[in-house]
Amino acid sequence: MLLIWCAVLILACLELSTRVGTAPICSYGQAGCHTPSLADIFDRVIQQSSRMHGISSDLHSEFEQYFFPSKNLIGKPKCHTHGIVTPADKENAQRLGREQLTEVILRLLGAWGDPLLQLYRSMSQDQNQDFNHYSSNKALEISDMVHELRDGVAKMAEKMKLSGVLGNTVGYISPEGLVPSSSFSFYKHGELNSMDHHDLLYCFRRDSNKIKNYLQILKCTTLPGLDC
Amino acid sequence: MYPGPTSPVNRLHKSVSSVRSSGSRQWTQHGQNTEGETESFCQLKARLCGATMKKVLEVILLLLLLVVTHAKGTRYSPPGKPALTRCRSPEKETFTCWWEPGSDGGLPTTYALYYRKESSDTVFECPDYRTAGENSCFFNKNDTSIWVNYNITVVATNALGRTFSDPVDIDVVYIVKPNPPEQVAVTVMEDKGWPFIRVSWEPPHKADTRSGWITLIYEIRVKLEEENDWEMHLAGQQKMFNIFSLRSGGKYLVQVRCKPDHGYWSEWSPSSYVKVPDYFHREKSVWILITVFCAFIFLILTWLLHMNSRSLKHFLLPPVPGPKIKGFDKQLLKNGKSEEVFSALVATDFPPKSSNYEDLLVEYLEVYIPEEQELMLEKSMDLDVGCLKCEGSASDSDSGRGSCDSHTLLMHKCDGVKEEEERQAKEARRHQKDWKEEASTYAHVDVSPDMSSGRVKTWPSVFSPLPRYTSNQQGSLEMAKQHYLSDSLFPTSSTSSYHTQPGHGTTEAHGPGYWECGLSNKQPHLLHPQAQAQRQLQARSDDNISSIGRKQTPAGLHSPARRSTEYVEVERVNEEDMVLLQPVSGRCGDVEGYPEMPYGEDYSKVKGVDMDNMLLLQREVREETENCDTSSTVTTTQKPAACIHSAMPVEGEMVLGVNGYVDTATVCTPPTY
Repeated sequence: MLLIWCAVLILACLELSTRVGTAPICSYGQAGCHTPSLADIFDRVIQQSSRMHGISSDLHSEFEQYFFPSKNLIGKPKCHTHGIVTPADKENAQRLGREQLTEVILRLLGAWGDPLLQLYRSMSQDQNQDFNHYSSNKALEISDMVHELRDGVAKMAEKMKLSGVLGNTVGYISPEGLVPSSSFSFYKHGELNSMDHHDLLYCFRRDSNKIKNYLQILKCTTLPGLDC
Repeated sequence: MYPGPTSPVNRLHKSVSSVRSSGSRQWTQHGQNTEGETESFCQLKARLCGATMKKVLEVILLLLLLVVTHAKGTRYSPPGKPALTRCRSPEKETFTCWWEPGSDGGLPTTYALYYRKESSDTVFECPDYRTAGENSCFFNKNDTSIWVNYNITVVATNALGRTFSDPVDIDVVYIVKPNPPEQVAVTVMEDKGWPFIRVSWEPPHKADTRSGWITLIYEIRVKLEEENDWEMHLAGQQKMFNIFSLRSGGKYLVQVRCKPDHGYWSEWSPSSYVKVPDYFHREKSVWILITVFCAFIFLILTWLLHMNSRSLKHFLLPPVPGPKIKGFDKQLLKNGKSEEVFSALVATDFPPKSSNYEDLLVEYLEVYIPEEQELMLEKSMDLDVGCLKCEGSASDSDSGRGSCDSHTLLMHKCDGVKEEEERQAKEARRHQKDWKEEASTYAHVDVSPDMSSGRVKTWPSVFSPLPRYTSNQQGSLEMAKQHYLSDSLFPTSSTSSYHTQPGHGTTEAHGPGYWECGLSNKQPHLLHPQAQAQRQLQARSDDNISSIGRKQTPAGLHSPARRSTEYVEVERVNEEDMVLLQPVSGRCGDVEGYPEMPYGEDYSKVKGVDMDNMLLLQREVREETENCDTSSTVTTTQKPAACIHSAMPVEGEMVLGVNGYVDTATVCTPPTY
């Protein structure tokens, strides 16, 4: 009996301690919240994008290794985000400026929300058993990450605007407005074949790399520090 | 598919190949000019002639070539298939591709690299074959696009043919391999007396980490010069690293390399050497200090132990207690002679002859009873009575039989002899005193412990069986009474005082008086039928005893040695059947004209010692009787001095031995007889 009471007490203490330990981060600057600094936000965002790229890279390599050994038979796919003009080298990226760069990032992130979800659904319902359980989980993970990252970058943009680093030309871009409707026609809703899976993974791998790189450029131009 | 190069050599090759493989559709003959059909016939003829001429010439040349080669004995073949080995970008702004040429087929072979960008059909040739060395193609910044897929092919061409390599798709982002870090600086620093190595470096100058275009992570490896195993350390994005746990006096090699987030590791930087200074001295001094300190403490502990060795030994190994037997000689035991040892244990002076009667609970009262009486008494004895059964014997009164040890033995069976003696003695004593006192003594159970100097023992149990015995023959009861009486009446101290010790004070003389007084004090409590019965019994028994005593007194009281026990002798039995007791000493036996007993040993009660160290023996019984009478009502704690002398009946009927062995119980009560 005594043991049970002790266990209950210990559990209660642990729960309390864990609760007390977490300090919520309020991005809207509510009273009593600990608002993170811009550097913290940058770090978090960059970490998130790096992780996202890593997962997508793993997915793509798995796919290519097991399902598409002869990759040269098929021509390189055309991504649905080709419409978004992205700087292809350093000079162009630097020439673009912070505002536009931020906008590009947001556009890219916005363009991938739905397709990734579609990809996940398609992978999990895969009739051909092309994907195993872990791959579909990864797809779900990156799908979630894209959404989180978009919100994070938006908040970061807000903070930058507040601190005067960013001009006001960057507005919150809704996903519908970013991607032309024609891009959705790329993929048949609810029915993606293996080709489509491959194309999606290929395209997203690249785009996530772009996002990460742009964010790093943004950080180092905004906050030059030890890491840059 | 590919744009036709404009060099004449290629054109020739193309034409030749087209001649050889007329059916081949691989090559589109872009370079050939197509002519219009409106020209004149003559011109057309001339042209045709010229073309055919050229063709013929080429064929001849070729044949010659073939002949020549055939004549020389070597085979010519078109070039082997080249292969793109790798493409690398050092800073994600330019990149280089290397290929491996195949066999050249014996003919001079040229290589060309063609590439096509993603979502464009334009084929471009490598802009720079030289910068990167042999069999390489360098793409400068203008030609490099990131996040764009390049499709690259290498073509090997010789006189006999051209061979295409397998195309390769690359994205510059994934082929980044930076240069090794630069400006690697290794210094030895100190942290609280312990040295460590600080390694610092710079990213390769080409990689633009400052703008965030490239993010590099670093790795360091260290080893001793003479060792073979490297110690790896991942440093992350920092450009400085500390290495601890160094061997003093060792020479270390340090190398650094870097890698972008998703790319290839760079080559290791050139080794940097560093020598760690000797810090052994400092270590040594500390150890010396510690050793000295420990030795010092050890010395102190040893000295302390030595000082307290004995007490410590006692604490740890307590000595075994040896036997403490008086007269026991350990040495004898060790020698192994058990006989001697045990003989030594036999105490020669046992029973102790010391005058310290306080240690003994034994009361001696030897009474000699003639055989007839003995038998009577014996018959009346009950087993329940216990010690009351004493075998009678006609031996002298002083044979030592008269001791039944302590009063407690009264309740237990013991040797008959002793009890008998005691009984006899008691009888004699009793008759010397007032019978009433005796009865009162018997009846009164609770004698206070303090009475008579605390020498009188209290035996509540002793007296309890008394009522039982009323039904028994009078003899047994009498015995009991007498027995009890004697025990109560003869406190151990008093016995000694009787004897004579001139040096004793009056207090000792009071000894016998104690019980007398006590007895007298008890008298008033006797008002109950038992007492009456007792008295009656006493009276009867008195007869017996007195009669016994009369006859036997001479013999009975012939105690050979004067002992510390009290002995009385029965002088005679008077007319009233009373036993007149007389102290054996006979010195004071002037009471009522009784003749003195012609015995060597006299027992008399010492009243006191006067100035001249003379023993005063009690005589004046009568007078004392009155005193005792008056004092009979006094509490038991009354000082017995007043009743030193035994109370005697005023009547004088009981002419007891003057010398004071009086039964106070009988004295102080009005005589019923």
